[in-house]
Amino acid sequence: MYAWMQLSSSADLAQLANAIPTEYDAATVAQTLSGGISDAVKAILIESDYVDKDYRSTYYNFYAKKGQRYRNDCVRLHFFDRTVSFDADKLAPSCADRELNNHYFGYMVLRPTGVATIGRTVLSPDIRRGAGRLIITANHKVHLLGYRFEIHGFPWMNQHVDISVCAHAACWSILRHYSERYNVYREFLTHDITMMAHEFNPGGLVPSRGLQMAHAERVFQEAATFPVHIARSKDKSADPSFYRQMIAYVESRFPIFAAMSSRRHAVAIVGYEWLSALNTGAPRLRFAWDALRSLAVVDDNFLPYMSISTTADAPRSAKDYSAEDIDSLIVALPEKMFYPADAVDRLGPALFKLGAVVGLPPRDNTIIRYFITTGSALRSFVREKAGEFDPRLLTTIMTIPFAQFVWIVEFATESQWARGVVEARAVIDATASLTEAMPLWLFHGQAAALVFDRKTVGQITDGVGVLTLVPAGHTGFTRMERNLRATQAK
Amino acid sequence: MDDKNDAAHKVSQGLMPIDPSVLKEFLREMNDTVIPEIQKAVEERRLLAAESRQWQLKC
Repeated sequence: MYAWMQLSSSADLAQLANAIPTEYDAATVAQTLSGGISDAVKAILIESDYVDKDYRSTYYNFYAKKGQRYRNDCVRLHFFDRTVSFDADKLAPSCADRELNNHYFGYMVLRPTGVATIGRTVLSPDIRRGAGRLIITANHKVHLLGYRFEIHGFPWMNQHVDISVCAHAACWSILRHYSERYNVYREFLTHDITMMAHEFNPGGLVPSRGLQMAHAERVFQEAATFPVHIARSKDKSADPSFYRQMIAYVESRFPIFAAMSSRRHAVAIVGYEWLSALNTGAPRLRFAWDALRSLAVVDDNFLPYMSISTTADAPRSAKDYSAEDIDSLIVALPEKMFYPADAVDRLGPALFKLGAVVGLPPRDNTIIRYFITTGSALRSFVREKAGEFDPRLLTTIMTIPFAQFVWIVEFATESQWARGVVEARAVIDATASLTEAMPLWLFHGQAAALVFDRKTVGQITDGVGVLTLVPAGHTGFTRMERNLRATQAK
Repeated sequence: MDDKNDAAHKVSQGLMPIDPSVLKEFLREMNDTVIPEIQKAVEERRLLAAESRQWQLKC
């Protein structure tokens, strides 16, 4: 039931085909792994007879009904580094420092379906060659031989081909991340996803004919999220706001269901990487998207965390695509986010009209970055960086009755961006209406803060107060990062 | 809180009134330009999303 396989190089992965029955197509799996995981993986524990709930959901509802006999069990591969050994008699992995979890890189379930056999998989981004720098992850628990492992990663699987397609796999990845990351969302199995896409059971092979964007939207609705569906203008150069919103949601730790109509393909966007240096050019107002090097995607055709370029300029093979190919997206949001990113994208530049009060940098030397967070997370961040704030501003932030979610807009000069600091920050009410002229809670720089009274509907002129601040003697407030996991390539 | 007490509360917080001309200019920008642009953008997104709902994804 358990077999230990040591690897001296990625070529040794070919041995998987000898250790695993043919219906799991281990040869193709080995090929996929050897092209995508790093040499830090030095051992694989092969767990046979594994009962995988996702595969079983499709087995009970589909494969068991077929004339051809399918197995009902799976194989699970566990990946370890060079320090781990395995006692086959005691069925126990061990390592010198007894911290097995620190040497565990995740798992991959193999389905007995002959083709597209890679099922539920959670791998550490650290062992993925070319993984994106910052990745949205959740903590996934793994029970193996009486040990409990934890792996930080994003769920991934191959599409089944016959009963699910790329879009089902992307929906499943995002929803499995949600169920692990947030306890308000329940777990949905592969078969659940195929059923949630339709008002009725389409039966048989209908799901394999594809999924429409409307179906994906329905899946997220059925999962008790509030999906926002944003499509790009046909002229991509005329719609930079589409991409700015995309990175805003990813930075807010919301994975994105992204569709490419020209390829009839869907992936999940789960991370990003900044440019090491901003591309200089004519002075102009810029946005966080302009400082982005790449996005990280979970694509059912490739191992997870694949980096894609933000532009189509770089040479690429026929299989590659860039962010420019993405022309529609769905973000599965919680409730109470009424003020859309389209509004924030336009409100941000308008705040320069108040720039003289709070001390904004020149418009043509500013980079605007916006994202969603909670009032609690903002307070927690400010508390952590208390030394950067005038005590009266800190008190104001602690006492403003924020709605649960707020949009943050940060303003930084080019030099500040490179140092990870910002000159000013606006806090916008995510529950505001589209037509509100002042949907803000707070707008502060180093010299002053504008405090907006939102306790009474209709307060306009009387609802704004200026708080003069004592500069804290720094060259910028720390940029509020959203704690995506930083990949440490191994 | 009535207006008088509200004003007193603001003063106790150290809040001073904003220059009315700055606020007026901001409100004009919002009402004349930004809010109409937001409404237009949201409507355009609605139409684009409606169109993209039919896209078939199967690769």
